[in-house]
Amino acid sequence: MDQKLEGTPKATLELSGRAVTRSEVSNDWGTRLQWMISRDGKPVATVGAGLDLTFEHPDTAPGKYEIVLQQFHYVNYKKDKEGKFTESNYISISDPVSYTI
Amino acid sequence: MLHIGNQYLPLCSGGTRRSFLQVGAAAMAGLTLPNWLSLQASGAVDEKKAKIRNCITIFLVGSPGHLDTWDMKPDAPEDIRGKFKPISTSVPGVQICEHFPRMARMMDRVALIRSLHYSTGASHENGQRWMMTGHDFDASNKQPHMGSVISKVYGSRGDLPASIILPDGIGNTGTTTPHGQESAFLGSAHQPFILGSDPARADFKVADLETPSGQSELRLEARRKLLHELDDAQRHAETTGTLERDTAYARAFNLLTSPDTKKAFDLNEEPVKLRDRYGRNTFGQSCLMARRLIERGTRFVTVNQFDTVFGISCWDMHADGNSLNNTYADYEHVLCPQFDLAFTALLEDLQQRGLLEETVIAVISEFGRTPKINARGGRDHYPSAFTNFLAGGPIRGGRVIGSTDKIGAAPHDRPVEPPQVVASIYQAMGIDLETTMLPGPGGRPIRLIDAEPIHELFS
Repeated sequence: MDQKLEGTPKATLELSGRAVTRSEVSNDWGTRLQWMISRDGKPVATVGAGLDLTFEHPDTAPGKYEIVLQQFHYVNYKKDKEGKFTESNYISISDPVSYTI
Repeated sequence: MLHIGNQYLPLCSGGTRRSFLQVGAAAMAGLTLPNWLSLQASGAVDEKKAKIRNCITIFLVGSPGHLDTWDMKPDAPEDIRGKFKPISTSVPGVQICEHFPRMARMMDRVALIRSLHYSTGASHENGQRWMMTGHDFDASNKQPHMGSVISKVYGSRGDLPASIILPDGIGNTGTTTPHGQESAFLGSAHQPFILGSDPARADFKVADLETPSGQSELRLEARRKLLHELDDAQRHAETTGTLERDTAYARAFNLLTSPDTKKAFDLNEEPVKLRDRYGRNTFGQSCLMARRLIERGTRFVTVNQFDTVFGISCWDMHADGNSLNNTYADYEHVLCPQFDLAFTALLEDLQQRGLLEETVIAVISEFGRTPKINARGGRDHYPSAFTNFLAGGPIRGGRVIGSTDKIGAAPHDRPVEPPQVVASIYQAMGIDLETTMLPGPGGRPIRLIDAEPIHELFS
């Protein structure tokens, strides 16, 4: 039987300066978590969300930063020629937080 | 003539109670219980005298590459060491894959066996037979699953089967040869009960524990009384074997009617946060159910992480671009994180409930994967070297048994073969391998396994 991921994962974020602290994930699918960082509306980095609940993006270039927690949503295992998933992908599981440098 | 369910049983016209039983449970009581119906309480061991432990076996169907997980070679060439990096663990000098951060913190409770190997073939089924039974064999000479052996040696506790497989039995993994998850010559009395349902689904239920449509509890009770009357009338004429079946039928009724038994399978009784901690996926919820079943009397639970290797995300990382197209992406985004979460949740949960000391956890697989990455970026089957691990019970954590050479191609020291792992599990569960025998084919007494346990796991 293929993996069934029931429900929708959710986390909340708190911002303190540039440091973002996440809650534990409710309805955790168990798949990989990552921080997705955008600057002035454009994605600039994704960083694996490790066991440390707090994350601070090191980039200090001027701009408006937005950070959101994402989790991998496994739909099926279809992939492209490079072996990357084509239908399964990361989805945001928190509201974004933002700060300006 | 009796009318039972939809069947007419001619007991008054020369038929015997044996023929009645042969009609089958479904005919007798409208039951849909599968072939483990003949569960037997063998009572072979006096629990008060022996230190009996339980076991949860996690079978990583498809088999992780040892070089990508628990036997990393960061100094090897790129086409051997692979994509992932090692991280330190709570045990100085022991490193594992970066995608197991929780497990890294708990390595002091885990004993890695890095020098496993065998040479009888490289099919999934070969490995399944070796690791599930300690033997290799063909369909004409089947050997029993570890859970069936435990069922025979220890019997059942309470109404739950002694051996349960979650969430499903292993299906198609490439060939039609046996998988090693049957009771074989131990008979149907010791066949593992297969859940056959996904506990991660919101509409999950154990079909075999549901009262059949149109069968009220009252009717079931009436049939139980009828069974007892038949027992009384025929008892003197029956053989011991049939009397064992009486116990099986009683268990079948108990499973259908006992609220406690049904509760054992009800994950909704678990706190939401704990369900999240295991991971809201098929594997994670199966591990949680394994703990519930052990807690409530099952001796041996097998969690098959997958029931096939085709067309799903699993450890079988051939990257073939077709139905075996698992790649590093599956490991990184799905498989390693889900395993890391569920395995460590199980360790923590058992420990917090005081069950880890009496529960052996065995994480096993069919084989390793080729040291050299193939032309498509995957790794293929490799039984010449692989890593499995044990925890819980009397297993001494923080150990690494054996090692492989610089590229993970062969054992470098302390080579270990699958029967030694099986022997170690039996010993960890409290079985004296020198004195405990099984009734083999034809009733001839045989040893549980012809191998020595891995003594370093216990000292």
